Amino acid sequence: MQPLAEIVFGGLFQGSLYAMMGVGLALVWTTIGVFNFAHGALMMLGAYLAWTLTAAGLPLALALPAAILLMGGAGWLLQAGVVRPLIGRPNLVLAVVITTLAAGSLVENGVLQAFGPRSKQLPPLVEGSMTIGPIGVSLHQLAIILATPVVLLALWLFLTRTRLGLALRAVAQNEDSAQLVGLNVAALYGLAFALSASLAGLAGIFIGGYRFMSPAMGGDPLLKALIVVVFGGISSISGPIFAAYLIGFLEAFSNYAFGLYWTPAILFAVLISTLMVRPEGLFAPRMGKLA
Amino acid sequence: MSAPLEIEDLVAGYGRVTVLHGLSMTAGTSGNVGLFGPNGHGKTTLLRAMSGLVRPSAGRIRFFGEDVTHLSPQAIVGRGLIHVPQGNRLFPDLSIAECLALGAWTRRARAVEDENRERAAAIFPRLAERWRQPVRTLSGGERQMVSIATGLMGAPRLLVLDEPTLGLSPRLKEELAEAVRAVSAAGVPLVIVDEDVELLLGLAKHLFLVNHGTIGAEIRPGETIGHDAIMAMYFGH
Ligand SMILES: Nc1ncnc2c1ncn2[C@@H]1O[C@H](COP(=O)(O)OP(=O)(O)OP(=O)(O)O)[C@@H](O)[C@H]1O
Ligand SMILES: [Mg+2]
Repeated sequence: MQPLAEIVFGGLFQGSLYAMMGVGLALVWTTIGVFNFAHGALMMLGAYLAWTLTAAGLPLALALPAAILLMGGAGWLLQAGVVRPLIGRPNLVLAVVITTLAAGSLVENGVLQAFGPRSKQLPPLVEGSMTIGPIGVSLHQLAIILATPVVLLALWLFLTRTRLGLALRAVAQNEDSAQLVGLNVAALYGLAFALSASLAGLAGIFIGGYRFMSPAMGGDPLLKALIVVVFGGISSISGPIFAAYLIGFLEAFSNYAFGLYWTPAILFAVLISTLMVRPEGLFAPRMGKLA
Repeated sequence: MSAPLEIEDLVAGYGRVTVLHGLSMTAGTSGNVGLFGPNGHGKTTLLRAMSGLVRPSAGRIRFFGEDVTHLSPQAIVGRGLIHVPQGNRLFPDLSIAECLALGAWTRRARAVEDENRERAAAIFPRLAERWRQPVRTLSGGERQMVSIATGLMGAPRLLVLDEPTLGLSPRLKEELAEAVRAVSAAGVPLVIVDEDVELLLGLAKHLFLVNHGTIGAEIRPGETIGHDAIMAMYFGH
């Protein structure tokens, strides 16, 4: 009973973090058709921004929304600086891999310069812990598990129920037609990056609340987000969300059954065999669908 | 009052390739305008320059007297110059209803959105039956209808149609021509490009031949011209 509860809780927790990271990456891929390799650095930047604000005396309840807003601006700037100028070029996808990798490494080193290598930690979302059935859980982790679906649902409602969300889904599908109905394509691309960076920042704040932060903390989450997005299907945002939880559970189970060392190998084995059977990803609908 | 559309010495193209070599025309003062001409001679490029998708390197485009040559597509759509592109794929994963909602994106259009939706539904009853169907799953003719209906949603002061009947069966062609006539009868002036000269003659009294990126000939309203004479213009000289 207890191992099962541990696996379920661990899976839900990791799945939440992966979903939060993956959905931002997927949002940019589906609207602009590029992979943002600075996504991990953005996540780290969100955590450091929140840390700076809390260190300045702001309570987390204010620092969190402020950092997320600032991250929106950072995402917008990243788009304007290293993505927008390349749009329309034939080698867009590869060029953006390079420019976002460069921007990400610039951000990482900038943070290293500004804050030094010493690890920092954010206050948890909620202090304390409780027991659920056979296991004890931290309230911070529980809050993440509960908040993530709410954020994802809000994003989904925004994309499917609002006019702006409709425009964001459209611009992904046909840039010419988008312009011919009067959409501001550059602004929508900026919005996609801003939203994506805000989600990454939130993930960073989640992670910074239970683990030590360092300028390199975005590396592993970026890798996991890439796995989640490729595994779930790169052409939607619901695919990566399902995949995130699936991988979360798989990891929790494998950690329990085979041990920590075997888990990455098992994860990749599952990923590769899935892609051999379904190259478009496990939950992929057709191409270019955002929600 | 100024003409809906005045184009002066327009030069435009793609990169180093110039397609329009100083094209001039005035259109819309006497009903619908038809453009025809051989493939690849710049009709679509002309329309893309009008809607701001192609940046002219010289010349001037005026829309109801206002210089729109260097405005963004967004600003041009906002003024009511609506371009329905050739072979429009639209937004494959959006439904018909969603496409029409996007068609009414601009402030001008949003104010009359419900009215225009009813009008579009009346002109294209086939679409009203499948409001929630994704555009990807529609037939070519149906997609063309959605494309025109989306243009109508933009509250056009001038509606520019690029080959609305391209690749359609004769029966569908007639159905679409009928719809385009209904759009025109509702008081929207048209600029229409089509290969089907009969269809063009039925819709527009003012015709231009686009040849080698300039206007090769103009047929003014009242000038009668036979099918044969037009065919001679096509295959030329
Ligand atoms: N995106 C582009 N890049 C480079 N050249 C282009 C592009 N689009 C069109 N062209 C070229 O510009 C020329 C004019 O094309 P355009 O589409 O304007 O012709 P058209 O008169 O509309 O032809 P059709 O009747 O076949 O639609 C052609 O030679 C075409 O190859
Ligand atoms: Mg053409």
